[in-house]
Amino acid sequence: MSSAENPIFSEARLAEIKSVVERYPAAQSALLPVLHMAQEDFGYLSMPVQQLVADTLAVRLMAVREVVTFYTMFREQPCGKYLMEVCTNAGCMLNGANELAAHVCETLGINMGETTPDGLFTVTEVECAGACAGAPVVQINNEYHEKVDAAHMDAFIADARGQGGAA
Amino acid sequence: MTTLFINDVEVTVAPGTSILEACREQEVSVPYFCYHPELSVAANCRMCLVEIEGWNKPAASCCTPVAEGMKVTTQSESLDKDHKMTMEYLLINHPLDCPVCDQGGECKLQDYAVDYGASKGRYSEGKRAVNNYELGPFVTTAMTRCIHCTRCVRFADEIAGTGDIGVLNRGDHMSIAGIVDECLSSELSGNLPDVCPVGALLDGPSHDVSRPWELTRHKSTCTQCPNGCDIEIESRGDEVIRIQPVENSPEPWLCDRGRYVYDAFRSENRILTPCVRQDDGMQDSDWDDAVQRAVEQLSGKRIGMVISPFWSVEGYTAIRLLRDTAFPDAQVAFDLHRRDMRPFAFEEGFVQTTQQIEDADEVVVLGCDLRQRLPLMMQRLRKRLGNDKPVTRIGSMNYRSNADLSSEALIRPRDWSAVIARAMQQVMDLGKSAAGMKEWIAAVEDRHEAGKLLGDALMAGSCSLIVGEEIRCHPDAAALIHGLDLLMRGCGHAEADADGRNLVPEGMNAQVLSAVFGDVRSSAGDIFDAAAKGELDAILLVGSDPIGDGLFPVQARKALDNVPLVQVGAITGQISGGAQVMLPASAYSEIEGTFINMEGRVRVATNPIATIGEQRPLWKVMMRLVQALGHAVPVVNIEELRQQSIGFLPDLGQAWQSDAIDSFMMATPRHAKAAYLPAAVAADDKSLDVVSRYSLYREGMWARASALLSHAGVLHALDDVLVHPDTLQTLGLQQGMLTVVSEQGEQQFNIGTRDDVSPGVLFIAKHSVAGDLSNSVRISLRGGAA
Amino acid sequence: MISADPSKVTAICFDRIHHPNQHKLEVARANGAYKLLPKVLKEFSSEKIIEEVKTAGIRGRGGAGFPTGLKWSFVPRNTGKPIYLMCNADEGEPGTFKDRDIMRFDPHLLIEGMIMAGFALGVRDAYIYIRGEFLHEANVLNAAIEEAYAANLLGEHILGTDFSMNLTVHRGAGAYICGEETALIESVEGKAGRPRFKPPFPAVEGFYRCPTVVNNVETLSTIPAILEFGGAWHASIGVANNTGMKIFSVSGQVNKPGNYEVPLGTSLKTLIEEHCGGLQHGSLPKAVIPGGSSSPWLTAEHYDIPLTFDDLAKAGSMLGSGAIIVMDETADVLAVTRRLAHFYAHESCGQCTPCREGTGWLERVLVRIENGQGLPGDIAVLEDAAQYMAGRTICALADGAAAPVMSLIKHFPEAVRAGIVEKAA
Ligand SMILES: Cc1cc2nc3c(=O)[nH]c(=O)nc-3n(C[C@H](O)[C@H](O)[C@H](O)COP(=O)(O)O)c2cc1C
Ligand code: SF4
Ligand code: FES
Repeated sequence: MSSAENPIFSEARLAEIKSVVERYPAAQSALLPVLHMAQEDFGYLSMPVQQLVADTLAVRLMAVREVVTFYTMFREQPCGKYLMEVCTNAGCMLNGANELAAHVCETLGINMGETTPDGLFTVTEVECAGACAGAPVVQINNEYHEKVDAAHMDAFIADARGQGGAA
Repeated sequence: MTTLFINDVEVTVAPGTSILEACREQEVSVPYFCYHPELSVAANCRMCLVEIEGWNKPAASCCTPVAEGMKVTTQSESLDKDHKMTMEYLLINHPLDCPVCDQGGECKLQDYAVDYGASKGRYSEGKRAVNNYELGPFVTTAMTRCIHCTRCVRFADEIAGTGDIGVLNRGDHMSIAGIVDECLSSELSGNLPDVCPVGALLDGPSHDVSRPWELTRHKSTCTQCPNGCDIEIESRGDEVIRIQPVENSPEPWLCDRGRYVYDAFRSENRILTPCVRQDDGMQDSDWDDAVQRAVEQLSGKRIGMVISPFWSVEGYTAIRLLRDTAFPDAQVAFDLHRRDMRPFAFEEGFVQTTQQIEDADEVVVLGCDLRQRLPLMMQRLRKRLGNDKPVTRIGSMNYRSNADLSSEALIRPRDWSAVIARAMQQVMDLGKSAAGMKEWIAAVEDRHEAGKLLGDALMAGSCSLIVGEEIRCHPDAAALIHGLDLLMRGCGHAEADADGRNLVPEGMNAQVLSAVFGDVRSSAGDIFDAAAKGELDAILLVGSDPIGDGLFPVQARKALDNVPLVQVGAITGQISGGAQVMLPASAYSEIEGTFINMEGRVRVATNPIATIGEQRPLWKVMMRLVQALGHAVPVVNIEELRQQSIGFLPDLGQAWQSDAIDSFMMATPRHAKAAYLPAAVAADDKSLDVVSRYSLYREGMWARASALLSHAGVLHALDDVLVHPDTLQTLGLQQGMLTVVSEQGEQQFNIGTRDDVSPGVLFIAKHSVAGDLSNSVRISLRGGAA
Repeated sequence: MISADPSKVTAICFDRIHHPNQHKLEVARANGAYKLLPKVLKEFSSEKIIEEVKTAGIRGRGGAGFPTGLKWSFVPRNTGKPIYLMCNADEGEPGTFKDRDIMRFDPHLLIEGMIMAGFALGVRDAYIYIRGEFLHEANVLNAAIEEAYAANLLGEHILGTDFSMNLTVHRGAGAYICGEETALIESVEGKAGRPRFKPPFPAVEGFYRCPTVVNNVETLSTIPAILEFGGAWHASIGVANNTGMKIFSVSGQVNKPGNYEVPLGTSLKTLIEEHCGGLQHGSLPKAVIPGGSSSPWLTAEHYDIPLTFDDLAKAGSMLGSGAIIVMDETADVLAVTRRLAHFYAHESCGQCTPCREGTGWLERVLVRIENGQGLPGDIAVLEDAAQYMAGRTICALADGAAAPVMSLIKHFPEAVRAGIVEKAA
């Protein structure tokens, strides 16, 4: 089984990577797209995954390391099943984001940046999500939740726990 | 040209020059950290700010090009504040540990802190925590001191070509790091501490050993490879502490071999007292006794002389005087690799300067592990490639050149004549020819496609060939070099001002050796064979190690079984076990003398380091022998000796007189009549061609005597015997223990595979048992136990 | 429908945005998308298009307000190198959220604008650099691009002409600095987004050292209308030197935050009172950030200011990306400043000394002031740091980091002083 510790790209992925590479003048340009794919496939970008990406694109491991550590969306550690990213920048802050963030952390019993022991939730603080009209904004696994209040988050958590329990 | 004003002074510089470079040219001082003349511009430290009239903000001078009529100010109250602020920012996270830092006295941060720094920073929070990382055996890191100038990162990318130092994270978490658990795989790593403007990257071996102000500096020439870099040897008393490159010399860098060999100067392998063999081994003796013993072995005998290529002009002249007075029939070998002693159309040495090669339209490297042989030449080629100038390489291995070559081909040594013939065909089809080309090409049946790369490159306006040991050591070398000579002449690359015919020599002083010993030159292999056959009575060895180095270790051992060895030198080698007498001569750091590098550049070392034992300059040892052998001593002081040198090298008279000695160039020898046709190549069988590997950490007695280099050699080691995976497949063999069948009989080796070894080649390390295969041309390989 | 009468224009980029399913090619076409494209490709010359864009007077909507036609005219043609077009959809400036709406609701408008720009500039390969968090928007764009390829609006021989262009969506991965155009280029080259010093400017040496034009989503989305109605038409919307419509992203403490496209020159007050339903508390703003978090703040004193590049510059601020963050009388201005300082410290790429060290320093000093533990010299420290960061670095992020701090000290010194322990402990 392919995993973050022992990663292999599927044939379909390799074909997709090839077509992405063709869109650029040089293979290194495909580094961000391929890292996104790798993170999707393996959950996070472990050293073996970074080496795999380096080998696949024939770039130096250091070139991959530089990129992975620069961009905040790339993770070198696994995170919870639900990654809750609370925007606390000015627009959201002026509309109660800090209080919302505190509420979520308290509800889950963790500090900002941590993952619940059951591995279900990770809460992080992020910079302006680019949706300030919907402040406060919480991004949960790539999906924007706008004009969020405590009740919305409670419902989401309860729902996810229900699913998590069933799974 | 662009004219501008710097602090109201009108100056004229080349267009496109940066303001900072314009200031440096005028010796106007502008502070900087990230700028480095040999590296790309990063403009990140923001220390080099200047004011430009009409601009509303200060500008970074390192990345702002000059413009016509520009008015630049480098000093003002506001700039002063800028510099102070930058220093304050840099010191936020920099430890205040100057008293314990090795860089003390050579640190830009410390210097500028004196010039600009406020006495007390206003920043009062904690400093950031930073990880150290591994950068190979020679570099120690103290990353809390890093100021993020990225010089080391640019060095690894642009100069070393390894790209294994990078910038991780961002903001004030940004850090400079190497790849976890990997050491910098560069033979230029020792330059990193010089590149680092602060004390974050430190010279490992001299770490904590001394402070810069305790050292005495001696200008000298490195004799560790034919490039003969200018060096500054730093000593504390008679102890060498460091070797550094010399500012404004042709090479801004030093390779690790030249830099770290210095621990050999004091190693137990040094010959510091005269020694003689007694029943229970070598014993210290005194000069009179040892010279007497040498005379007993040599007087009136038929001798062969084997000498190393790293002595000074004065040393060689003295050797020649000894030969001419006492042993007028003796043959002299100074190259442990050359098998074909017919004259070469172009002899060892570079007719071009490294700069001319860097600038040529095309460069073709033929059969040379340039990264190991001439690391700084390789660096120049890397620089070329970075400027989108092509470099082509043909040879039996793509020796991890740390560069993306523009084109390359792997071939076996036996393919050379077919490669050259293919190129000849191509240039002849385009109407280019030289007298003799028709005959040459008619002698070769096959054509090898790799020759197209050579043919293509020859079409350029200027083309430099760098011909390496795979051709120099080839049994048919004279014919191959004649073929290359024809190609170069046919394509107009042999004219006086456009001569691109360079042959990598065995060591320093190629031109001197040819001039002094050209008429009495022999192959070391032939000398040993003659001794083994009883045609010689003794061997006089002057600073060479034919068992540890070169192609003839087996013959050398056989010779010593038969005849006595008298060794003169600064250091012992694997051959010393067979010596009857050892006479100590001074090392290159300990003499006053003249060196001429492969380009023909003359260098005179003048301030030697004090002698630590009883050794004498080589020329005095030679004269002592002349006298003891009962002859009149031809020279009694260095002036007289130099008069003799001028007899061999007339240009030197002028060079010694001239002030411009640094740029004085000596011509490389040519043999216009050396026209040889290639021998027929045996029909393709399943045999493999043997190519022996050159490692800058392990080759040469100095390198082997250096613990620092030996350690690096272990870290960079490959399997002793390597082949291409296809070679095994063709033979139906699997990787593992296999049997090599050669003149040495049958031997078992664990055979490794590498993609960058040419199929059909057995690539061997010389430092191991496999080294005994060095002089084999062909071997065969079979499976299973012997 | 956009009116041919400049005085009646109510929207340019947002004109078709409210149509249901506008992101689908069929719907977009029914509403007029790509209507003019065949004519442009067949009858317009590159020079004519650039001339029209110059006449239109449009200034870049991404932040710097540089005249778009002029930028295009800097591109050296016939160097033998390919020319690239990059759409800047990084939208990272706190307060900005306008490009997102164009991309998710009317992607074909942007695509059409890029085809026209690409045609004018002789581009073969164009890219949209979209911030990584906008996955939904990237998916919408990709679907629209796929439809456009199928309809021969992209790819080889577009609409049977000699013009061929590819368009690729490139997702960022969480780095505000990649909105800076040279960092963006580095990022598309597969590197960390560290800005390059200039010159050379990207128009001359950008993506893989080839000429590269970087334009904001809104800028490019304006091109179809400019070519349809003419540069002069566009030039007569708004006010002199500040022409056209502009989308303002209004957020913070207003009753109806959102994107509003209005003619340049509309007053701040009109925008807030008439479009955004006024402030949440009170009748006068305590502070307004008029052009994204990197712009210096305004106070009630400037409530009537016409929103133009020039007027805001005169008032010591800038129009930037048109992101207006409103703080009403209840706002904690020190906390907002500290939060923005955190943003800049987090987003600094780290290469320039003043920015790398200064942004973190500013944040830490503000934190201690907010905690009531400021030191006596802290105001001078903040002022010095802000002043000596601005204008001394490779890119303008450091200026952006300095702006809120300078504004705070200038407009609300008492808020800072309250956090300083006067007597050294
Ligand atoms: C730190 C920084 C962040 C920026 N972020 C963005 C951005 O997110 N989107 C954008 O369009 N321009 C951004 N810019 C401006 C771009 O550098 C560039 O000026 C713009 O994309 C040019 O397009 P335009 O001429 O159409 O405005 C940013 C600039 C800086 C200095
Ligand atoms: S100013 Fe800041 S963000 Fe901009 S290049 Fe310099 S360090 Fe990077
Ligand atoms: S030397 Fe110019 S910014 Fe560093």
